[in-house]
Amino acid sequence: MKIKKVILLCPFVYLISSYQAHSQETPRTSWGDPLLQGYWTNTTVVPLERPIELGYQEFYTREEALEILATDVVEQETEFGTVADVHYQLDDYGLSREQTDVVLNLRTSILTVPRNGRLPKLTASAIARSDELDKINAEHGFDSAQSRPYAERCIMWRHEGPPLLPIGYNSNLQIQQTPEFVVIITEMIHDARVIPMRTSAPESAKIPRWQGSSWAHWEGDTLVIETTGFSGRLNAWGTKAEMSTSAKVVERLRRNSEDTIDYEFMVEDPTIWEAPWGGSYPMLATTPPLFEYACHEGNYGLENNLRGARAEEVK
Amino acid sequence: MITSNLKRLSLVGFLPFIIMNKNVNAHHAFAAEFSVDSPVEFQGVVTKVEMINPHSWIHLEVKNDEGENEDWMVEGGSPNALFRQGITKKSIPLGSEIKVFGYQARDGGLRAVGRTITFSDGTPLFFGGTKLPD
Repeated sequence: MKIKKVILLCPFVYLISSYQAHSQETPRTSWGDPLLQGYWTNTTVVPLERPIELGYQEFYTREEALEILATDVVEQETEFGTVADVHYQLDDYGLSREQTDVVLNLRTSILTVPRNGRLPKLTASAIARSDELDKINAEHGFDSAQSRPYAERCIMWRHEGPPLLPIGYNSNLQIQQTPEFVVIITEMIHDARVIPMRTSAPESAKIPRWQGSSWAHWEGDTLVIETTGFSGRLNAWGTKAEMSTSAKVVERLRRNSEDTIDYEFMVEDPTIWEAPWGGSYPMLATTPPLFEYACHEGNYGLENNLRGARAEEVK
Repeated sequence: MITSNLKRLSLVGFLPFIIMNKNVNAHHAFAAEFSVDSPVEFQGVVTKVEMINPHSWIHLEVKNDEGENEDWMVEGGSPNALFRQGITKKSIPLGSEIKVFGYQARDGGLRAVGRTITFSDGTPLFFGGTKLPD
């Protein structure tokens, strides 16, 4: 069945359904693998975690989803003189969701495991570590460039994963394929995962890396990517505690139609969470190219934040 | 040692990375860089446009109350979405007069976040979805 694209509210918002049957003709590379290569967006209004009040409700009705989208894409004006107002307006720069391709599915959360759509309980050691980091940050968070978060330092943004997760804007990625490798490039902040096609971990997985070391194989028409060898320095989701070097992420990508990929993932790190967790969402084909996000090139904000802190100290 | 106010901001500024389904996303804590207590409004001539990530910057020559010229820098959003819709730094010609409403840097430097920016006749710079405060 052909996937329908419905233009909703404005030209940039699309409704797609990821729950329709897979198209009969999976596009393929010249060497016969399912074709994932292309430019994709995962911008969405679906939150990572399900609102608590929804309990085990996995899906909205179509009407409910449309209403949520309608209210979410409307940019809210911030109130003069409030901290929230100390910011450029997203819609002045084409960064509001009403100016962007939005991929809507009917899910109430990206998380599907556990069943309540919420991150599992943190371990006692993760809570203790997070509290410790909160205290360090409160006392020394602006001491130097090295005490600032990795995102502000243009080193790594958490949504780049793995797993890949949507971010509020520039939530675009490019996939490239050869028979031997798959490359996933995220626009923001311009990192590329070069993933060899193999069935066991490469030797490089023994070397800790920001995004771990990934390898992939095909299960039918689904690309299965496994990743281990994380740095132990990036915070895990929902806590400031660092995801451990022994964490493992499994991602599954399946071309669902000419213009959609279904993306699923599972994450496990027993040092952080009491149980594995995972989720799924659709990606929508988007117009190329990705634009370079040379974060270091113009990161005046890092220096300016430290200037601001020094100014506060002498008051 | 820093103020407790700034400590709170350091936490607030990075919530967007954890809570992805909110409208405000930022690369860094803007309220740590600029002061909510220092709103500024001025008009100046564009001398340089930097369409660079993580944030664009517009440089302006502004005449102050004493009639002296000051060089201001105004911070805006990531340029990637502008590029995607065909907008480049040439969309703001050098020599253009623009109006800025924003908040000044905490250290008193001639830098501001461009909360709202328009050409001097009120025409929106790019998309113009914002309103000036009443």
